[in-house]
This record gives sequence, structure tokens and C-alpha cells, in this order.
Amino acid sequence: MLSTETIYFVLFTTGLTVGFGHCIGMCGPIVVSLSLSLKGRSVLVPHLLYNGGRITTYGLLGGVMGATGSFTRVVASIASLQKGVMILTGMLIVVMGLAMAGWIPLGVIFGDYYNPQGVLSRGFRKLSEARSTGTYYPLGMLLGLLPCGPVYTALLAAARAGMETQSTLEGLLIGVGIMLSFGLGTVVALLLIAKLTDLGWLKRRDVIYKISSVLMVIVGVYFVVKAIRY
Amino acid sequence: MKSKVQTRLFIALLSLIMFAISATICSSQGKTVRVQCKVNTGPCWAHISGTKVSLDIEPKPVKAMHDLTFTVTFAGENPVAAPYIDLGMPGMNMGRNRVILKPAGELVYRGEGVIVRCPSGRRTWKAKVTVPDVGSVEFVFDVIY
Repeated sequence: MLSTETIYFVLFTTGLTVGFGHCIGMCGPIVVSLSLSLKGRSVLVPHLLYNGGRITTYGLLGGVMGATGSFTRVVASIASLQKGVMILTGMLIVVMGLAMAGWIPLGVIFGDYYNPQGVLSRGFRKLSEARSTGTYYPLGMLLGLLPCGPVYTALLAAARAGMETQSTLEGLLIGVGIMLSFGLGTVVALLLIAKLTDLGWLKRRDVIYKISSVLMVIVGVYFVVKAIRY
Repeated sequence: MKSKVQTRLFIALLSLIMFAISATICSSQGKTVRVQCKVNTGPCWAHISGTKVSLDIEPKPVKAMHDLTFTVTFAGENPVAAPYIDLGMPGMNMGRNRVILKPAGELVYRGEGVIVRCPSGRRTWKAKVTVPDVGSVEFVFDVIY
């Protein structure tokens, strides 16, 4: 077995490489959607919070994997939850895309006139407008549950490392460490994508907003379809 | 002037990302021999530097997200060191997923592993069997999600 320090380093570099190869393709649309929804505000703090939330979820899952030492049992128990998150994410991206292009009056539908005190209206308005930067942390935690091949691979490493420890606590800690290392590695690519979307001249072009809106709707529908078939 | 700088920055970042993506994809390929394999019908055979090697995965049909047993069998002589298997998808970096194999009889090595599930829906996976100091071969096969 690799030493603890080595395994943390291996998982960090794994996160770094899959971040550019895999996460950009799979999580890029989400990051772009979140960036564009900020409408001119700085992306750095919201995206650091989003990534922080995502890594927190990875750490928690890694802790469970390390403590139990079982990958297949844990993923089987969270499969339905992951499917739900995938559907919710797809729907969120579709709504954000439509609202960004001005094709749906989000205020009318979700808050300003229709049932403004409703839980769904208030919740959706908070998410879509993202007035509070702090929203990005729980959002990141939720989206950290999205099913993802490289995340599963890292969780598998956490479970294997946990199996070889002497106590549950030791397994839990090594599992958390492995997933935090992996998650930190993935941040670089996703922050770069967020920053790229934030370039001023790019955001000022209406045509880019329209194209992005169409792409977001397509990606959102793709997410929902994939989730239903998952 | 400012717009020019931003355009250059945009192009530089885009180039960096494209380079990283291509480097990642290329790193997952290489000169290893690749063999198409119907792993659900029985063991698959290939040669590593002249040595005949087979890979079998149980239970069948081979399903993602399930505990699987990987068996590598040699025809001829035992290798100098135990082989190992790296699981991945062709053309996509899925992170390091290594199956450690241990001796399980004459010319037979066995280990436990899991093929994870990719939400993209792609079902083609590869198992790269490496014999230290000898070489490696990639068995490409489909799994059930």
C-alpha cells in the first residue's frame, strides 16, 4: 500500500488531471451557468464557495467510505439521491438558461406576482438570482453529490485505504483526507472555466448570451434525460 | 488596448485548456497493444512480449458498480513479478483504478476490483494488464450499467 502522504499526493494530481480532461466536459456547463447567472459580479468568491461546498461533500462521502471500507454498499445507498440531484441540476440549468435569455419572466413565475410567499417560489428565486453569495456553498454541497466517474474512482481509493486501517476513526480520517486531496485538485480547472466566462468583453456580447442560453437549455435537458436513464 | 489584452488572455487560457485536455487524452493512450474482448462470454487472450496471457472477470455479466473478481492466467512460465490491472475508459481519464493481483495457483493471479459507472452512458471500458519489466496489453470490453 502507498504511504498516506503519497496517496494524498496521487489523488491530488488525479484531481488536477481529470479536472482538465473530465470535469470541464461534465461539470463545465454547471460552472458556466453559475458564472453567467452572477451577471457582472465577481465570480471568484462565489466559485470558491461553490467548490468549497463540493469538496465538503466529497470529504463527507470519503469519510463514510473510509470508515465502512465498502464502496459498493455506500454508493448503492445513495444512488437514488444522486439521481434526484442530477434531475434537479438539469432543471435548474434549463430555467437559468431560459431566464438568462429573457425567454421566461422568472420573477412572474417564481416570485414577484405569483405566490411570493411559497416555499418553492422563494427557494427558486434565491437560487436563480443568487443574491446571497453564501448560497453557492450549499449549492456546491448539493452538486457534489452528482454522479461522476472520477469521483467514484477516488471514493473507491478511500474505501480501499479505509479497509487497510486498524480502526474506524483512522479509516474515516484517511477517507476524508483522500477526498479532500482529490477535490482540491479539481478546483483549478473549474475556477479557470469560471474566470474564462467572467471576461468582461465576452459577457457584454448579447449574441454570446443567447448562444449560451440555448446551450444551457440543451445541457439541462441532457442532464434530466441522463438522470432518468441512469 | 485593454480589449486587446483581454483577447490575448482569453486565447492563452483557451490554448492552455486545449493543451491540458489533449495531454490528458494522449496520456491515456500509448503504444500498448489493444485487444477487443467479449468478456461476458469467457476469458480473453492476448500476448505480452510473446507470453500468452488471459483475462477473465467474474461474475458475469460484468456490471459496473459491483464487486468483481479479475483473474489473469499465463500460459508457459510464471512472470518474475505479480501482474496488476489498471481500469479505465478508452480516451477518457477516469483516475487511477488499480487492481492488485495476488498468486492464486499455478500461473494464475487474482484480485478484487470495481468498474465505476460513467454518467455519460458510455459502456466501453479497458483493463490494462501490466507485467512488470515485461510489458502490458489492454483488453477492451463492454460492461452493463
